[in-house]
Amino acid sequence: MSVDKTIRHVKALATGIKYLVSSKRMTLMYPDEIEEFPDGYRGMIKYNWDTCIKCGLCAMVCPADAMKMYISKEESEEGKKPVRRPGINYARCVFCGFCVAICPTNSLKFTKVHDVVYNTLEEQVYPPEKFREGVPKPQYKKKPKKMRAILDEERGLRYEPVE
Amino acid sequence: MSLEERELEVLIGPQHPASGHMRMIAKIDGDIVVELRPNIGYVHRSVEKLAEAKKFLQIIPLVERPSLADTTANNLAYVMALEKLLGLEAPPRAQYLRTLLAEINRIHSHLYGLGIHGVMIGSSTAYMWCFGDREPFIELAQELTGARLSYSYIIPGGVRRELPSRFTEKVEKALRYMENRMKDYFNLYLNNPVTRARLEGVGVLSKEDAIRLGVAGPNLRASGVPYDVRKVEPYAAYPDIDFDIITEKVGDAFARVMVRVKEIQESIRIIRQVLKKMPEGPILHEKYIKAISPKMREYMKETGEVKFPGIFANLRIPAGEAISRVEGGRGEVIFHIISDGKMSPYRMRMVTPSFRNVILFEHLNRGVRVADIPAIYGSLDYFPPEADR
Amino acid sequence: MQDLLSFLISLLFRPCIFIPLIFPGLTVIFIMLLMIIWLERKIAAKVQLRYGPLYVFKPLGGVIQTVADLLKDLFQEPIIPKTVDKIAFLLTPIMLFGLAYLPTVVIPVSPTFYAFRSDLSLLLLLTLTTLAPIFTVLMGWASNNKFSLIGGLREGYLVISYEIPMFLSALSMAVLYGSLDLVDIAEAQKGIWGLFLNPVAGISMLVLIYMSTGKFPFEIPEAESEIVAGAYTEYSGIMYGLVMGASYVKLYVLSLVYAILFLGGWNPLPASMMDNPLLPGAMLFAKAFILIAIGVFLRAVYPRFRIDQAMNIGWKMALPFSILAIFISLGIVTITGGM
Ligand code: SF4
Ligand code: SF4
Repeated sequence: MSVDKTIRHVKALATGIKYLVSSKRMTLMYPDEIEEFPDGYRGMIKYNWDTCIKCGLCAMVCPADAMKMYISKEESEEGKKPVRRPGINYARCVFCGFCVAICPTNSLKFTKVHDVVYNTLEEQVYPPEKFREGVPKPQYKKKPKKMRAILDEERGLRYEPVE
Repeated sequence: MSLEERELEVLIGPQHPASGHMRMIAKIDGDIVVELRPNIGYVHRSVEKLAEAKKFLQIIPLVERPSLADTTANNLAYVMALEKLLGLEAPPRAQYLRTLLAEINRIHSHLYGLGIHGVMIGSSTAYMWCFGDREPFIELAQELTGARLSYSYIIPGGVRRELPSRFTEKVEKALRYMENRMKDYFNLYLNNPVTRARLEGVGVLSKEDAIRLGVAGPNLRASGVPYDVRKVEPYAAYPDIDFDIITEKVGDAFARVMVRVKEIQESIRIIRQVLKKMPEGPILHEKYIKAISPKMREYMKETGEVKFPGIFANLRIPAGEAISRVEGGRGEVIFHIISDGKMSPYRMRMVTPSFRNVILFEHLNRGVRVADIPAIYGSLDYFPPEADR
Repeated sequence: MQDLLSFLISLLFRPCIFIPLIFPGLTVIFIMLLMIIWLERKIAAKVQLRYGPLYVFKPLGGVIQTVADLLKDLFQEPIIPKTVDKIAFLLTPIMLFGLAYLPTVVIPVSPTFYAFRSDLSLLLLLTLTTLAPIFTVLMGWASNNKFSLIGGLREGYLVISYEIPMFLSALSMAVLYGSLDLVDIAEAQKGIWGLFLNPVAGISMLVLIYMSTGKFPFEIPEAESEIVAGAYTEYSGIMYGLVMGASYVKLYVLSLVYAILFLGGWNPLPASMMDNPLLPGAMLFAKAFILIAIGVFLRAVYPRFRIDQAMNIGWKMALPFSILAIFISLGIVTITGGM
C-alpha cells in the first residue's frame, strides 16, 4: 500500500466523519413540511368561466388530449345551440402549460396546487362545470408547515418557513 | 468439460436492482464475462411514430419524455429543426436563455448519471449526494420554467419565460455551492482508492473504437476524441461563449466519470458567462409577437410570461427537411424532420445518445469480470428509455 | 418467595446460563442486532445528508424502526420457490444463525466469569466461526438461482482467502501471550493492550473481520447491483431476517474476540469490580460496539471491491502481514522472554 493511497483512504474517512458530525441535511420533511413553490409554478389549472370566449384553442394545443371542449348543458339549452367549453382531465394532463400560454383571454391560470389524491379515475375529469369551481384544496390531517426553498452557498438548498 | 458447459447464462434484468429498464444477457465463465448482449426495447414508446399523429407544438412534451433527466437537449434540438424549416431564428436573448437552461440541465443530468454510477459500484453516499445536489439546479430550472424536469421551455421562435427576478444571484449561489462541494466529492468518492480500483482500467474504449462505433457524448470524449457539437456546429449562444471541450485520454470507466465531473465545472463557467453576457431584448420572434393580441402583449411585458399566438395551436411548417444537432448531457441528440407542409411532420427521426452508446455494452463487457458489468454500465450514463424512445 | 426470587436471580447469574442467554448470548445479541441495523442506517443517512429511519418513535430518532421491520418480516409470507432443495433451503438460515451465535458461549466476561474455560478456547471459537460459510455456499446451491449460486461461491472464495490470515493474526496474539485461553490472554493485557504490542496483527485482524462479515468495502457476496442479494436472493420474510442477522451476529462475535485479543477485554477495570459480571461485561460490550459501529460507518465511505481485488488483498497483503505479525510476536517473546 503506497503512501498516496493511505492518504486518500484517510481523506475519504475524514470526509465521512466530517459529514457524520455536521448537522447538515437536505431533507424536506414532506408531508409535515411542504414546499411553497415559486411564482409561475405549473400546477393544476383554474378556469375563469366568465372571461372565456370559448375559442377552443386550449383544447387544440393540448399535447396530451387532457383539455377537451365539452358541451356546456345549461348554456346550450338556453341558447338552443351547442355551446362548448373546455374541461380538463388530470389523469392525462402533463402540466406543460401550453393551454395556459395560448389562452387569448387569460382564462386559464396556474395554481400552485399539485398534490391531490383521487380515489377513482373519473374524479380526475373536470368537465366545465366542475372546472369552474377551481382546484381542489389539498386536505391535510395536520396542517403542514409551508417552506420555501432558498438557494444557499453553504447548503445548496435551505428550506425556510413562510410566514 | 467442453467450453459450452463451462459457460453460465445469466439474465440480468429487467427485474434486477441495477439493470434499469433493460435486460443484459451475459454468458459468464467463472467470474469472467464471455459475452454480454444488451436486450433493449422494454420501454419503447414509439415516439417517432406518435409524432406523425401529433401537431408540431404537441411534439415538444413528447420528445422530452424519453430522456427525463436531460429534457432540454431534446426540446432544443427538436425546436431547432422546426426553426430551420420555418426559416426563423430566435432573438439573441432567447438564445442565451436556451443556453442557460441547457447548461443547468447538463449539470443535473451529469449528477444523475454520476449518482446512479455511484450506487452501482456500491457507494450509496455518492448516489445520495449527487441526487441531493441535483436539487438546487432543479429548483433553479423550476423557477425559470415552472416545472422540475419536463420544462417544455423552448418553443419555435424563442422561449417561454423571462428570467425571474434576482435569478442571477440565486444561480451564483448554487454554482458556488457546487464548486465547494466538488472537493468533498473528490475526497470521499472520486479519489477514494476503492473507487479508483473499481473504475481505473475497467472497460477501456480506445480512440479508434470509439470513432468506429459511433459513440457519442462524454463517452466519446473520454476516449480522447475532442468532439462536441457545441464547438463543431455551434448553436444557441455557444458561438459567443468561451469554453473548452473536456477530454480524457485513457477511455476507461474512470475517464468517463471524470469527463462528466469536469463538464460540470465547465458548465458552471458557461452559466456565469451566459448570465453576464445576456443581451436585452425580446424572447420571442417578432413575427409571433405581432400575432399576439395587444392586451396579451401587455400582459407578456408585465409578467415576462410568453403567450402563444393563436397560430401555435395549428402550426403549419413549410414542406422540407431539416436536421438539427445538439450536445445534450449524454451526448449528441439529432432530430431529422420531414415536413410536407401539414400540421404534423411527415416523418420524424430522433437519434438519441443512449441509442448510439448501447453498442458499448457488447463491446466493453467482453472479458471483464461480473462485478465490472455495473461499473461499466453506470459509466456509460446509459438511459434505457432514451435509447428505446 | 424472597428465597425463590433470589434463587432465580442467582440462577440467572450462573455463568452457564448468563453467558449463553444474556451476555454475550441471546438477549444482548438481539438488542445489538436491532440497535446496530438502526445505527447503520442512521450513520449512512447522516453522512448522506438525510435523516434515515425517523418516524417509528420519533423522540429517539426512530430507534425501534428495526423492531417494526422485524415484525413486518415475521408476518410476511415466507415464499419457498418450487424448485429449491427444500430441506437445505429451510435449514441453512437456522444453521447459519445458530453457528454465528454458538461461539458466544466460549467468550469469557470476566477473569472469573465464564461458561467454560478451556486451554483452547480461542481455537474453538475461530473454528466455530469458520464453519458458517459452508452453509452460505450450501444456501446458494440449494436456492437454485444463478445469482444465489454466484453469491454462495463468492462467499466460498472469500472464506479461503480471509480466514487463513485471520487465524494467523489471532494466533500471533496467542504466541505473544503464550496461551490459547481467552481468559489468560485478556488478563495478560493488564498493562499494555495487544493492539499496541503488535499493531500489525491488530490492523490486519480488524480489516479481516470487516472482510469476513461482508462489511463495505468487502460487501462482495451480497453485492446488490451485481448479484441482487447473493446467496440470500430467494429468501423472504423471517428467513431473510435470520440470514441477514447472521452476518451481524458474526461481526458482533468477532468484535468481542477482537476486544479480548487486542483491546484488553475487561481491562482496565480494577480487580475489585470483577466479581459482578455486569461491569466487565459492559466494558467488553462497549469496546466491541465501537468496533461494530466503525464497521457500519465504512458503508458510508466506501464503494465495494471487486472479488479479485478483495482476494488479492487477502492473499497478497493480509497473509504476509499476518505472517509478519507472528514474527513480531515471536520477536517480542524472545526479547522479553514471554509475557
Ligand atoms: S397543461 Fe398541457 S397537458 Fe395539461 S391541459 Fe394544459 S395543454 Fe393539456
Ligand atoms: S379557456 Fe381560453 S383558450 Fe380555452 S376556450 Fe376559453 S378562451 Fe379559449
